[in-house]
Amino acid sequence: MNAALARGLGGGVLLLVLWEAVVRLAQVPPWILPPPSGIVATTWLVRSALLDAGAMTLFEAVTGYGIGAALGLVLAMLLALATPVRKLVLPMVVVVNSVPVAAYAPLALLWFGTGALSKIVMVAFIVGFTVFLNALDGLLRVDPAAVALLRSFGAGPLGVLWRLRLPTALPAIMVGLRVSTVRSMIVAIVTEMLGSQKGLGWTIFEAVLQIDFLRVWAAILVASLISLGCFAAVSALERRVVFWR
Amino acid sequence: MKDAADQLDQLLTVGAMPTARPKLALRGVSRHFGAVQALAKVDLGIAEGEFVTLIGPSGCGKSTLFNIVAGLLEPDAGGEVLLDGVATSLLGKVAFMPQRDLLLPWRNVLDNAILAAEVEGRPKREARETARAMAADFGLKGFESHYPQQLSGGMRQRVALMRTFMFDRDLMLLDEPFGALDALTRAMMQRWLLDIWSRYRRTILFITHDIDEAIFLGDRVVVMSARPGSIKLERRIELPRPRDPALLTTPAFNAIKRELLDAVEEESLKTFAAGAA
Repeated sequence: MNAALARGLGGGVLLLVLWEAVVRLAQVPPWILPPPSGIVATTWLVRSALLDAGAMTLFEAVTGYGIGAALGLVLAMLLALATPVRKLVLPMVVVVNSVPVAAYAPLALLWFGTGALSKIVMVAFIVGFTVFLNALDGLLRVDPAAVALLRSFGAGPLGVLWRLRLPTALPAIMVGLRVSTVRSMIVAIVTEMLGSQKGLGWTIFEAVLQIDFLRVWAAILVASLISLGCFAAVSALERRVVFWR
Repeated sequence: MKDAADQLDQLLTVGAMPTARPKLALRGVSRHFGAVQALAKVDLGIAEGEFVTLIGPSGCGKSTLFNIVAGLLEPDAGGEVLLDGVATSLLGKVAFMPQRDLLLPWRNVLDNAILAAEVEGRPKREARETARAMAADFGLKGFESHYPQQLSGGMRQRVALMRTFMFDRDLMLLDEPFGALDALTRAMMQRWLLDIWSRYRRTILFITHDIDEAIFLGDRVVVMSARPGSIKLERRIELPRPRDPALLTTPAFNAIKRELLDAVEEESLKTFAAGAA
């Protein structure tokens, strides 16, 4: 175990101990802040429902993530090749992307229903934009001298894209993918809160209505764990793929 | 007696050109960038197998000339660039090595060296075999699977040179390949390049800021004028080959150097005056 990880874990444990102590000593009512031990106990108690909900949310997030990442990448590559189209399209993309994504969620529910599809569309939307903008930036930020060198070897635009632009953009693409993991969970949960019959977002919403705050915290705990797991997986992939940094 | 020797020299140098048709010929090549004229009617011929070095004050249009010969830039209308007597696009026909090594950090030494071969569509495996066989010549044996970040400046430059050599073209363009190296490494690399050149026999056009380097390496030194760049002077270097560092202190070397220094200094002063005006 490396030192940074040990420090992080140590800090986490310290925080939990403090949390537990403060809640117990100050007798904070559980609907304001329950103790960590209570949250863990409740999580264990309703584990099968949480697991189902978590699986649903994870499915929506991962599916939307895959679709969004693929679309974002392909679109970025196409626009990297077609300069005139890019100059036309890019300002519009920036405008659409600058609206907070949650604002589109009611529309997605209206168009795609309250099932998994609306969540997948929303996640694909946010992930697609993030990956697209990161990838395009990376694809265009190549050394002009390196492009000239490849052209002198007889490479065309596709050759330059494949052998130079894509590898150059890989670090930026991976950053986009890493940031998108957390965003995809957030968007899936928020959209679930606004309309669904399943998933962690729905669980949180329903538990709030039932004034079951321990279950709210339990769902938050599961969502955090899933989010952390996805983030760690993509970070590990990033370190492997971008080995030269 | 001396006249006879000169005549013989001349005969020999003419004899060095296999035919009247040079490998590369520039005829009246000019280039404007907007209102700025970078090159003015450059005429230059390079014979097959010849090592020509080009020096000139900074901003004299050397890079523009190189980009034109590499096929990356078009000359203004009226100018002609002939390869083997034919006016064609030079893109992909000249092995070009830019100032910076431009090695790709995600490729190891071998895969950087085969980049050009790969672009040409040669099978990777076969290209890697060729590169592996060449590695010793380029002082890279044992470093085939190192990444550029792990190499010294001199080694990186040798990888870039190997990449240029593997792009199997008769004409090589080297743009100040040793400019960023320290003096000792540079001297070593110069001797090494001559050695490689005598073995692989390519036609080389070599750009440099360094007069010693230009004389030490070249069959002929070409001096460019201040902007707009044109050929101010051509000087054949009849120093015997193989050349070794002792040459740098001989009277013959110094005589040539004085002559070239005068020419370069005159042009540098013009650039300086133009900048001050």
